[in-house]
Amino acid sequence: MHKELNIQGINISLKAFQNLWLDPRHFQIAFQTVFLLAGIVVLSWNLEIHNYLIALAACLLIQAIGINYTSKDYSALKSALISALSICLMFKANHMSTFALAGILSIASKFLIRYKGKHIFNPTNFGMILTILITGDAWFSPGQWGSEMLFLFVLMLSASALLLKVGRLDVALSFLGTFSGLYFLKLVVYLGWELDVFIHHLSSGTLLLFTFFMITDPVTTPKSQKGRIIWSSLIGVLAFAISNWYYVHSAPIWALFIMSPLSILINKFYKGKTFSWISK
Amino acid sequence: MKTIKLSFLLLFLMLLGANEGKSFCGFYVAKADAKLFNKSSQVIIVRDGSRTVITMSNDYQGSAKDFAMVVPVPEVLVRDNIRIADQMVFDKLDAYSGPRLVEYYDQNPCYQMIYEEEMSMMDMAPRAAGSAERKMKSTAQKYNVTIEATYTVGEYDIVILSAKESDGLKNWLLANEYKIPAAAEEVLAPYIRNEMKFFVVKVNLEKQKSSGFTTLRPIQIAFHSDKFMLPIRLGMANAEEAQDLVVYAFSKKGRIETTNYRTVEIPSNKNIPEFIQSEFGEFYVDLFNTAYEKERKRAVFLEYAWDVSFRNQIKCDPCVGPPPVYNDLREAGVHWLKNNGGTNIEGDVFFTRLHLRYDRQNFPQDLFFQETPNKSQFQGRYIMQHAVKGNLECDEAQAYVKGVAKRREKELHQLANLTGWDISDRYDYVEEFASKVKKSGNDNGWIEPDFKKGGFFNDSENNIPIGKIALLLAAIVFSSGLRLYWKHI
Repeated sequence: MHKELNIQGINISLKAFQNLWLDPRHFQIAFQTVFLLAGIVVLSWNLEIHNYLIALAACLLIQAIGINYTSKDYSALKSALISALSICLMFKANHMSTFALAGILSIASKFLIRYKGKHIFNPTNFGMILTILITGDAWFSPGQWGSEMLFLFVLMLSASALLLKVGRLDVALSFLGTFSGLYFLKLVVYLGWELDVFIHHLSSGTLLLFTFFMITDPVTTPKSQKGRIIWSSLIGVLAFAISNWYYVHSAPIWALFIMSPLSILINKFYKGKTFSWISK
Repeated sequence: MKTIKLSFLLLFLMLLGANEGKSFCGFYVAKADAKLFNKSSQVIIVRDGSRTVITMSNDYQGSAKDFAMVVPVPEVLVRDNIRIADQMVFDKLDAYSGPRLVEYYDQNPCYQMIYEEEMSMMDMAPRAAGSAERKMKSTAQKYNVTIEATYTVGEYDIVILSAKESDGLKNWLLANEYKIPAAAEEVLAPYIRNEMKFFVVKVNLEKQKSSGFTTLRPIQIAFHSDKFMLPIRLGMANAEEAQDLVVYAFSKKGRIETTNYRTVEIPSNKNIPEFIQSEFGEFYVDLFNTAYEKERKRAVFLEYAWDVSFRNQIKCDPCVGPPPVYNDLREAGVHWLKNNGGTNIEGDVFFTRLHLRYDRQNFPQDLFFQETPNKSQFQGRYIMQHAVKGNLECDEAQAYVKGVAKRREKELHQLANLTGWDISDRYDYVEEFASKVKKSGNDNGWIEPDFKKGGFFNDSENNIPIGKIALLLAAIVFSSGLRLYWKHI
């Protein structure tokens, strides 16, 4: 009797484990959690657990409310969890309320700013930027990840696997290709700096987190591959322009904010099928 | 021939061995009177919108006639935007924001007496020409160098140059009797391409004589630029060794941080042994060295952050030196303050002190900064808890004595962690109290402490095996990534 129960227990957990593979969001959540822990433990960030918790609570709460009035599909809470983790990984603020606002705005934008049944802005990107503009209490810390090669390597590798699955590696590569290509032309070819100046400029954890985890959000990127490549290359160009002429060090995040609505237009020219998290 | 010291921040590079070992007077600890950080320079940077005021401290110790420096600047500075600043400002800011040792006294469990006193140890003590012009102009044309302006400010002769190519600039400098290091040429090129101007300074010996000043005073420059940065690369042109730089930054909003390097808080609020009082200087130097190595030589350290606005009454806790007053801030270049008379001074000022050690390998890029709204305060603070010196014969004292012995062991480990010092010969510090524990009955008294590094009482906060955790995390992420790749591609 006792033995049977045990076997049953194992069966259930195996099934759960198999289900885990079906939804790539589970991996994104796992990766982001690991990176957050790495930030807290290895890079000894000031412990801001209360801020992280409030962002998490705000995201989940707004998402739950939104789901309740729309699809009733509560699996979308996973997306809210990803948004909350992204906020924790990139965003800094003095007050808890600012973190809460960022969470609320992120998720609310998903339900309120929509076009043809799809939200327009990358939720976290929208929430963080609007919070910075409204409160003046928050900021991005582009240097906070440092340029530790092992970390950057792990980040790129794990994210690439994830992006291959959801079919958005093209976005990351064309953005990074454009952005770094322009910087190579500027720093190495034009100004004549040594190669390691260029490498140092790009080996920023914040840039790679943005490239592999934010800009690649499958829902807000254009539907066709051609469209995605054009769109993310344009973001690369704009990010270069902003950082080069206005010295905004978190330029890619602002560039994505500005270019997000463009994906609607691109979808008109280059048709593709709507993304769904769980492949059917 | 004059020797030119190429640098942004008065990094008086030793050229051709001429002045080897003479310059770079660092900070001193008042009581120890020993050099703390060799090869260090200090700069004040004030940022408000695009307006930037930079003050460079002159702790150059060599002969004045050999002094020269080149600073890349974003625009041709007008005469009004160049001035001589008072060295006292540096000394004051240094003393005010330096790391502090705080001491507290235990109460004697036998006699109830209360002491509490705070003191500071770290006093960063004060340390510390007609035909040539014609030649400058005639050579300028030849080498495709434009002399944008020439000024005499205080004891300095200043030339502002722009150049089309680094060869030309190098040759112009050579023709005007400056020696420049070979490595400088390739560093000059990117600055020229970036349309930077070159602010070239040397000492006007006559003016210096008539001014009566024997030491070289700080130079302050002001300009508008969207770029918020310090060009440190030029200073590395011929420096093999790493150099220290202390940046005192002022802004309206909050902390200043570097955007292309990690800004890390220096370990603070740590309990350290009482005997550190007499060697606090060495302690801090080694603490800095340890933190620097731990961050793989790539971090910029935050040593102080505080709101020094006049409405903020508490300027430090405890204060090591007097907080900067209105005149100090004005002298430093904080131009937005309004003095409405008396103590009524308007304007927000946030002060950040950054300390970095840079070399060519680990700091390939110039320092880029950003102003953040981060107003949280920070100071390098180390705590000394004095044990009771008097009679501890009463019964109540036993628990206390044991407590002190344990505490002292922790402090020793803390010390080893922070500084990398060998603590095995400091055992008497614990023994002083461990030996007072009376042995009776079941109580075996004081148990010999485990003095191996990383012992039980070791402060866990400082004992995280970071490398192992990083590897473990990396392995987890790596394997999940591989698994995912395997399954679905």
